[in-house]
Amino acid sequence: MNKFVGKVTIWEVLIWIILIAVFAFTVFPIIFMMVASFMDAKQILAMPFTWIPSKEYFTSSDRTFFTNFYRAIMGNNNNPTFFRNLLNSLIIAVTDSVTTVFLASLCGYGLAKFKFKGRNFVFMAIMSTMMIPFEAIMIPLYMVVSGMKMINTYRGLIIPFMVSAFGVFQMRQYLLTFPSEYLDAARVDGLSEPKIYSHIVLPNSKPVIATLGILSFRNQWDNLLWPLLVAQSETMKTIPQYITKFSEEKMTDEGAMMACAFLASIPMFILFFTLSRYFLGGAAVYDSRKG
Amino acid sequence: MRKKTYSIERKQAKWGLAFTIPCLVFFAVFSFYPIINAFITSLTDRRAIARTSHFVGLENYIYIFTKDNGGFPLSNSIRATLIFTIGTFIPMIIASLIIATFLMQLRKDKYRGFFQLMYYTPAVLSSVVAASIWMIIFDPRGLMNQISNFVMRTSGVDYNWLVDSTMLQISTMMIYFWKYIGYFVILFITGLASIPNTIYEAATVDGSSRWHTFWKITLPLLKPTTAMVSIMAMLQCLKTFSTQYMLYQGGSSRFPIDVITMNIYFTGIRNGRLGRASAMSIVLFLIMLIFTYLQLRLNKSSEDVEY
Repeated sequence: MNKFVGKVTIWEVLIWIILIAVFAFTVFPIIFMMVASFMDAKQILAMPFTWIPSKEYFTSSDRTFFTNFYRAIMGNNNNPTFFRNLLNSLIIAVTDSVTTVFLASLCGYGLAKFKFKGRNFVFMAIMSTMMIPFEAIMIPLYMVVSGMKMINTYRGLIIPFMVSAFGVFQMRQYLLTFPSEYLDAARVDGLSEPKIYSHIVLPNSKPVIATLGILSFRNQWDNLLWPLLVAQSETMKTIPQYITKFSEEKMTDEGAMMACAFLASIPMFILFFTLSRYFLGGAAVYDSRKG
Repeated sequence: MRKKTYSIERKQAKWGLAFTIPCLVFFAVFSFYPIINAFITSLTDRRAIARTSHFVGLENYIYIFTKDNGGFPLSNSIRATLIFTIGTFIPMIIASLIIATFLMQLRKDKYRGFFQLMYYTPAVLSSVVAASIWMIIFDPRGLMNQISNFVMRTSGVDYNWLVDSTMLQISTMMIYFWKYIGYFVILFITGLASIPNTIYEAATVDGSSRWHTFWKITLPLLKPTTAMVSIMAMLQCLKTFSTQYMLYQGGSSRFPIDVITMNIYFTGIRNGRLGRASAMSIVLFLIMLIFTYLQLRLNKSSEDVEY
């Protein structure tokens, strides 16, 4: 005990206080969302705010535990598109992360392990697209997609995000460190090039594939701008659009809005808490970009 | 023998091309063509409803820089975007650097991992969810007024978080700050972790205080990381859209938070003025190009740093 006390300095206590304060700042709004999704507007905006929904509240005649969730799903016109929109988001995010992993690893492998004429040109061309922000090309992209008759279709929502230049770059950097001897040994054994890719390169790139897949999934799950342009019918809309629509129509129903936000976050929470090291790794990938 | 290696090389080259061509085609259609097209469209009077369009030269550029575009001029959007960017990334960089330094002081990796995970949690929520949570917190009767009144020792004052134009801008900054702070903390931790312990040990042996060590050793060694992270944060802030759009949908006024991306969306999609919106896109592209160029320059110089 004495030994322990002797070690703790004022400095350390101060650090802990600040770290815990930041912890409260980042986590409490999320807890607020969860708690508020069980409350009605009166309780959400009560002064002072109580962090625990009161007990008599759930037993009142017009409310049950899930009233907000029910309203979040039904919307206010009793035309529930919630699950359809959720499914759309999932379809888009999953498809795009699969295609990103596939195309980026293929291209990254080609750039890292093969010598061919124009390789540097291809690499530079792909890298230079990183300088073109999506926001600057969304209008012409919209014209391209509408020219291909893909407005209000899954193709229109999915195809423009099938691969990212950053993904290609990340795969290439990773595969540059992959020992070429394995590949040569496989060639001597008579494996065809596509087989080498699918049986040797892919299985040995699992961490970077997971990081890249998650990054792509998140980007699409969070994407609002592109679906606003392309998804026009209620059944093609995505979950971020569903929530925005909610805020304009039902500003008065804060409880249902929080319930909706909570429901929409559950898939990400599940992913995050099961695969957190790939999330955090994805943030740290930046460091490997330094080369 | 010589001929054989030659043919193997040729075969290799063929496969290399085959592996890279799908991506190259993709980027040609969905990146290069659109940016060229944006430039061409910005020189025409193209509208969403009309089939034909005419070449108008620089008229769109003159329009967006001199006219008020139906009450939402580009100059205001540039102002809103730059204020948002500066007001977000500077506090974010300073705060995340300090928090990361503190986290590195923790003796147990277990605690550090826990805090990192918790700080990062807001980043996994979508921007729309983040904005909708804070919209309720910023409500006149909401938590934020209660906390502000408590801190400022006032009672019952409404700070107009979503109404007053200055407060509205601060609110968007706070939402963004909250969402991304954990992300930038992790970037700094990665940078800090790459500084070898031996340097710190040497400093301790020499009797350097923690304060002194931070200013004279940590900060200078972290300079490349800080520069890179700053530019990354700036680039991200310049592209902001969802937070502002959500608050606008929730009833806040558009003018103070009418960032460039939002103006492009409203001009091009809602009003169908594709030519003008394309001109704005080119302006945004040029702004971001300058920052990307800076990033690449820094990237090059930071590669030379050896610890």
